[in-house]
Amino acid sequence: MALLDRTWDFFASTKVASWIIIALAVASILGTLIEQESLYQDWRPPHLYYPDRYGEFWGNLFMKLGLTHTYSSVWYVALVLMLIVSLVICSLHRLVPLHRMLTRPQVWKLPHFLRKQQVVLETAGDLDQAEAKLKRAGYRIWRDRECLYAEKGRLSRYGPYILHIGLLVVGFAAFAKALPGWDEVRDVWIPDGQTVKVPGENFAITNHKFTMELYENGLPSLYATDASIIVDGEEVLRRTIEVNKPLSYGGWDIYQASWREEPGVAHLRLVEADTGQAVATIPFDLRDPAPEYAIEGTDLKLVVLTYLHDFILDPETNEPMNASYEVRNPVVFAEVATADGAEMVGRIALAMAGGQQAVYMGPYYLEVERVDSRWYTALKLHHDKTVPYMYFGLAIVFVGMLITFFIYHWQVWVREENGEILIGARAHKNRFALTREMKRLFGAPQGEGQSSNDTA
Amino acid sequence: MTPPNQFLLDAAQWLLFGAFASYLAAFLLYVSGTLGQRISGGTRFSRTPGHGTVANVIGVVLHGLAIVARWQGSGFWPTSNMYEFIGFMAFSSMLAFLVLHRMYRLYVLGALVTPVTIALLAYSYVFPPEVTPLIPALQSIWLPLHVSLAALGEGFFAVAFGAAMLYLLRVRGLELAQARARAAEEVAAGLEGAAPMQGAAPGAVAETRWERWERIVGIRLMEVVFYLILVILGFTVLALFFRYAGFEWIFNNGMSIYHLPPIIGPYGAEVGEHGSVLGIPLPTVVVPYGWRGKHLNTLLYSVVVGAVLYGFIRRFIARGRIGDALAVRVGGDPELLDEISYRAVAIGYPIFTLGGLIFAMIWAKEAWGRYWFWDPKETWALIAWLVYSAYLHFRITAGWEGRRSAWLAVLGFGVILFTLVGVNLLIVGLHSYAGGD
Repeated sequence: MALLDRTWDFFASTKVASWIIIALAVASILGTLIEQESLYQDWRPPHLYYPDRYGEFWGNLFMKLGLTHTYSSVWYVALVLMLIVSLVICSLHRLVPLHRMLTRPQVWKLPHFLRKQQVVLETAGDLDQAEAKLKRAGYRIWRDRECLYAEKGRLSRYGPYILHIGLLVVGFAAFAKALPGWDEVRDVWIPDGQTVKVPGENFAITNHKFTMELYENGLPSLYATDASIIVDGEEVLRRTIEVNKPLSYGGWDIYQASWREEPGVAHLRLVEADTGQAVATIPFDLRDPAPEYAIEGTDLKLVVLTYLHDFILDPETNEPMNASYEVRNPVVFAEVATADGAEMVGRIALAMAGGQQAVYMGPYYLEVERVDSRWYTALKLHHDKTVPYMYFGLAIVFVGMLITFFIYHWQVWVREENGEILIGARAHKNRFALTREMKRLFGAPQGEGQSSNDTA
Repeated sequence: MTPPNQFLLDAAQWLLFGAFASYLAAFLLYVSGTLGQRISGGTRFSRTPGHGTVANVIGVVLHGLAIVARWQGSGFWPTSNMYEFIGFMAFSSMLAFLVLHRMYRLYVLGALVTPVTIALLAYSYVFPPEVTPLIPALQSIWLPLHVSLAALGEGFFAVAFGAAMLYLLRVRGLELAQARARAAEEVAAGLEGAAPMQGAAPGAVAETRWERWERIVGIRLMEVVFYLILVILGFTVLALFFRYAGFEWIFNNGMSIYHLPPIIGPYGAEVGEHGSVLGIPLPTVVVPYGWRGKHLNTLLYSVVVGAVLYGFIRRFIARGRIGDALAVRVGGDPELLDEISYRAVAIGYPIFTLGGLIFAMIWAKEAWGRYWFWDPKETWALIAWLVYSAYLHFRITAGWEGRRSAWLAVLGFGVILFTLVGVNLLIVGLHSYAGGD
């Protein structure tokens, strides 16, 4: 029990609370001086990046101490939890006696007590006059024999505790992010005019068109996606998503996050080699070509044998393969055949990048007429159940602050003695204004109590 | 988006000059008023500080009009880059001062807060003043709400800083006066041939070792604060001189442009690539990959210029510690100053919480999808908030009123300044568009 008492006393001290706050501030500084894992701009994983960035010794030390992910490290979370414990204990420790004191004010006081207050004055008059004056100034009045007690702005004293309750809600929201399913994120890349299903969800998003506009100086002025939400093949919602204007659907907030432009559709011309006459133009999708294209006006078709969007020869096996995910060096290997596929007419290999000539066998070859760009929009989907709690907590915090700092609790004791009254008043905030008010109500104060020191 | 209206933008510049001149006049009036009153024993200059406040009111009105003119001229609320933001903060610090001045009528506070406003306004000119159109991330109603409310809160913190500095100086001044009185007494006693008084002089409470240590550290720290102030002032003057003189050193095909002579070059530059001055090659050293040479160069200049200024003032003007020289010249009731400092924090704290943290979180959620990123700038705003939270808790702890809490108010404003300027200079993050020189 002694240990429990000691722990309680430790956390009940505002001095300890202040030092925990300072410790948290210092810990937070560390996290801004050392690049955090979530923020550094490098493709390497942490165990390769940090030794290179800060040197072998320091890089490994920072990682061991958790300084590379300060705000989720054990000791930072421990500090936050200590602050929360201190906040709860400090509040309970003070709130109960404070509430008792405020709800049962002591009206009858000795003159000695009145003379100790911040504003003290003696003047002619009686309690009834004082009561009338104080009542008019908005005070609540209690009377007991020759004494009178008046106060206003009592609510102010509860402000810090309201604020602390708000902070507890904020703390809950911050920790609730770690609960499974409370903070989910999805990223989708959608080309213009296409629909992509959101992984793990029962809806899809259509990007009708992505728009980017620039100012004259080249800085971006607008990023926007004309998007639809599709459920079971039916459009349920269509809206434009912009930066700062997310779309909300079914608990998800959908944000304009990024964009990308890449070669989309190559218009390939099929040319008869002898005459140089173009026979047909084939729209060839560089991401997802059809297996074969019928050639209009003839009874021929183009069969795609192999297509690679980033052609390279594997240095070991010498086999053709894709070097990356990008459409960078598209190469098609196709064959011209009769429409029924009975007879092969010719074969063509075409590398589309850099205006290269096709290599062909037979009467036809292919050339690139033009390449249309394909625009992708990147949408980020957030489903964060902690947001309402966080906002609610912040609202309580702010209301608590307003109550604490903009309502003033003033207490006035009046005692009648021999046809004169002695007044002692105390302010918990803004005593200069209280002094002014007492002057206005009762005339100039005779002096100030003990809490003033004559250093000036 | 409305196209910029050049007439209004020019008008904003001239109004800002007017505000600057008014603040400067107010500062001179406050200083001559308080000093004049003190020297003449209160018989003369009794109305001069009041004229200082009039000049400040004129200044703040002109400044407000300048902000409105720029707002209407550019088509958006002018807190979108560092030039606009620092200027707005200067405005809000003056506004906060006038609010507290109305409550407490303490003219001597003007002698300390007005130079803060002037320094901020001068510092804003270090940044390019061109209107930069808003990128999509900034096109939001939260830009005016978040930034101007945060700046207003910070303005109150600036006043708290001024009052706390004045409190510390005043307490030190009283201490010096007491010491001088004691010394004079001893001399008088020695002349009369009487035995020197036993024990401490009346009024002086014997201080413990810890208190003595704290007092001495305080005196040293005050000099550090003055040095840092001179670093900022020195840098501002230097940067303004080189910018308006049109000096430029270009590195890496325009990737990095220096306005100050490059001693520390950026990564990729060559030693001596810009010739040499007085036998020193420019740049003299080049930073390794991942470091920001330009900002280190700026830092180097600031530190050196600050040291030169500090040394000069200490040697030739103050003839001793700058803090002590000022301490014997300022007046004011320390208790009132302590109250004003606290009051400024008490008003600034909720405003800063709302503008700097709550609105920031709501905007982050709306623009980026999450309300908190642990981005350096927002983390530093949190650190500043924590420091002021600690200040408010320490004040209800016995033994922390007065000197210690005044130091916390000074520290808090230091953190605010670092959040606004230091983070952009030294740390990178999401707020990169607010970056400057």
